[in-house]
Amino acid sequence: MLYDLRRADVRVKWLVTSLLATFGLSYLFGAAMVALYAGFTPQSVAATYAGPEMSMVMPPETTMVVQRPMSMGDFAQAEVHTVDTKLLIQDTHVHVPMYGLIAAALGVVVVGLSLPRRWSLGLIALLFAAPWLDFAGMWLTKLVSPRFAIVTLAGGWAMGVAYLIVAGLAIHQMWLSRERAEP
Amino acid sequence: MNFLIRAAAIAALLHITPVVVLVKRPDAVQALLPGADAYLAREVHLSGTDAHRLHEAVDWSPEDGVLVFYRGTAGSTSVGALEFVRVDTPHGPIEVAVGFTPQGAVRGVVVTKATVEMKPWVLEAVAAGLTDRYRGLKPGGEAPGGAAGIASRAGNLAVYVAGEVDKGVARALAAYGAFYNHVRT
Repeated sequence: MLYDLRRADVRVKWLVTSLLATFGLSYLFGAAMVALYAGFTPQSVAATYAGPEMSMVMPPETTMVVQRPMSMGDFAQAEVHTVDTKLLIQDTHVHVPMYGLIAAALGVVVVGLSLPRRWSLGLIALLFAAPWLDFAGMWLTKLVSPRFAIVTLAGGWAMGVAYLIVAGLAIHQMWLSRERAEP
Repeated sequence: MNFLIRAAAIAALLHITPVVVLVKRPDAVQALLPGADAYLAREVHLSGTDAHRLHEAVDWSPEDGVLVFYRGTAGSTSVGALEFVRVDTPHGPIEVAVGFTPQGAVRGVVVTKATVEMKPWVLEAVAAGLTDRYRGLKPGGEAPGGAAGIASRAGNLAVYVAGEVDKGVARALAAYGAFYNHVRT
């Protein structure tokens, strides 16, 4: 064991607790943002990422016009938030390093937990696999089939579950466990 | 550790915030096609040649190669037409609604969407009179100069976003001028 959070200095425990609380807050708002812009069902995630690019639009031989009547209600119809390829490239470029840093920070917490080595390895793998799944699902939904939206959902839920496991174990071992060192 | 902090700061700075609706589309339609009681969507499906021509003119291709104009009428009288144009910026997309009079001049411009990050810049630019700068412009005429017009009265970021709105208006003018009345149904 590289270090033991149960017996760590109270300042380290406080730092880890603050870090976990901050991540928890950002995860809560992350979930709210997903609810607002992509939704939690495979259908809504597919609508966000697959977009019209799934069907290849061929330009006509000559420019042509199609007209249809519109009502004011048609203008008011809720628009689906979509992420096109350009935006997904930007999102991947920005989010993946950030997710890596979050997984690394939570991984450092895992290293300090009193857990069997296999469990620690599994938990660290889950922390990094979750964002990989998340973005792999988005790209597969866009490029291969809307059915892969389920992979994105699995990745998102895995991120939440991994965080809850790490946070629960850390808080328990640092502040509630009988074996902890008294601050 | 220093690297981690820098990487986190860069990631936070580069983060593209979600798009928010500044003006709902029905409100933009009512403002830009006043008095209209019937609407017609005119979808112009561009050929490869025409799409290339438009791209050469304003460095832009509409989504799926389709331009959509909305025509408003009051009874049998035309009130004009409008377009919603999206502009992708390094800070995320904005959407600009550009309305035309029946004579083909810009009646008004409304910024309908922006990212959370750009919203205050857009509001500042609009408060500095940005959208008034486009009134009366015609296809093939003077280029939209909203950014230059508010440069002395607004901050750098508002002027920056005004430049992006200029692009949206230029695209709408080019599309309207070339394809609104010149393609038969």
